[in-house]
Amino acid sequence: MNSKLGFGRFLAATAALVFVAAACGSTGGGNPSPASKGTLTVAGFNFPESSILAEIYGQALAHDGYTINYKLLLGTREVVAPALESGQLDLYPGYAATDLEFYNKGAGEANGDATATTAKLNSHLSPLGLVALDPSAAVDQNAFAVTKATQTKYNLTSLSDLAPIGGQLTLGAGPECPTRPFCQPGLKSTYGITFKAFKALDTDGPLTRAAFKNGSIDVGLVFSSDGDLNSLGLVVLKDDKHLENADNVVPILRQAAASDEVKKVLNAIDAKLTTADLITLNSQVSIQHQDADAVATAWLQQHNYAS
Amino acid sequence: MSVISLVAQWFADPAHWSGPDGIPQRLVEHVEISAVSVAIGAVIALPIGIALGHYGRFGNVAINISNVGRALPSFGVLVIAFQVLGLGNLPILVALVALAIPPMVTNSYVGLSEVDPDVKEAARGMGYRELAQLLRVELPLAVPLVMAGIRTSAVQVVATATLAALIAGGGFGRYIIDGFAQQDYTKLAAGALLVAALAMATELSLSALERVLVPRGIRLQRAPVARRVTTFKTA
Repeated sequence: MNSKLGFGRFLAATAALVFVAAACGSTGGGNPSPASKGTLTVAGFNFPESSILAEIYGQALAHDGYTINYKLLLGTREVVAPALESGQLDLYPGYAATDLEFYNKGAGEANGDATATTAKLNSHLSPLGLVALDPSAAVDQNAFAVTKATQTKYNLTSLSDLAPIGGQLTLGAGPECPTRPFCQPGLKSTYGITFKAFKALDTDGPLTRAAFKNGSIDVGLVFSSDGDLNSLGLVVLKDDKHLENADNVVPILRQAAASDEVKKVLNAIDAKLTTADLITLNSQVSIQHQDADAVATAWLQQHNYAS
Repeated sequence: MSVISLVAQWFADPAHWSGPDGIPQRLVEHVEISAVSVAIGAVIALPIGIALGHYGRFGNVAINISNVGRALPSFGVLVIAFQVLGLGNLPILVALVALAIPPMVTNSYVGLSEVDPDVKEAARGMGYRELAQLLRVELPLAVPLVMAGIRTSAVQVVATATLAALIAGGGFGRYIIDGFAQQDYTKLAAGALLVAALAMATELSLSALERVLVPRGIRLQRAPVARRVTTFKTA
């Protein structure tokens, strides 16, 4: 009898909680008026770098007087973007080229120029009531790395340097690389690199790392902002002919939330953030196991946002 | 165009029959890793199963351990072995040997333990010492089951060796993994067909070997009565 009553109360309490949460959701994520600094909901994708970026944007806005709700590790773009459109979120840290190709349904409009790609992205965002701000210099994109030993041996700095010696080198990347324009075919058409052999591994995963380690590949596909590149002794070669799309970090907001003040705060962050910062921040989280919010706070303090 | 004709075209393309990614090379890789795994597995499993079956003790232990072995997912073993052993054929070998052992242990145990006690007693009575009795009486009688174990292991190993491609290995799995990654579903289907065909070829050739190895007496005993030349009285 008692336990039944307890269960009934539990049900009632749960129902009340859900109701309250729903009510909070509709006001909390709502339209902050620019005059009174309101509440903003910042989301992040389901990988650590996105949490770090969301924390940096969120804490910078909090520093400016906004109240921030975080929805970190929310999911993939397929989850986050509809939530932004429906007003459940106010902003997320996007990547110019990938977001463009998401919103244009893979029309292939992205290119290596961050400003042009962001402009194109905005043409797809504005009908949806969304807006992308200034792209930062920080970029998380496909990149080709070599070991420090290989770099020294052939005196490499950019991908162009690989063209004359490609015939002596083995390329390692995901098994899709031989058919993807950004990978083997692109290296051939844009840079004129023909490799001695190709080894099917993974995209910047444990297989690629193991293959670098035991010397079965010379050049491997990695992500430019990877936290462990330095500790693995890998050097990213400069994409001097812009084969890769411009996946520069860019905040994407609901227009209703993008007041001049919010834009000013976020653009100031974008102006300071670099790829080297991303590598450091990612390594602090993925290798040293620090929390994304602490890492973001430290970065903001370095850039004169007292906490 | 239908999938079947696309796959047929894929097989007809001479480019797919040569080079490091050609069918002959992938076949060699696939057969090599499978054969080595089954051989190592047999060297480990058969003595254990045969000894336990012969002495008729610890049978439950053997069957249970081997059932636990069957429950081990090969992919899991592969990933863990890769973490420990790094890139190369070794982690694949570990996963496939682990897969190959259980059916061989179970079948050889059952085969040996089910040899008729009267036959064993008769062998003793005729003056066979223990080793001779095992090798010349019990083992020949157990050949059908022992071979069935080897066949089951071999077919499973051939089918599972496809996983090698997940950790950058060779074999027919390469076509399946690459075909999926490249959205080249013709290549994927061709790879699946090749694996299936190789598994069936393994089954058929080991069945043929089994027929050769099974002693005449047992073969006769299992044949329909009409075809028996002599009748053996077993019990």
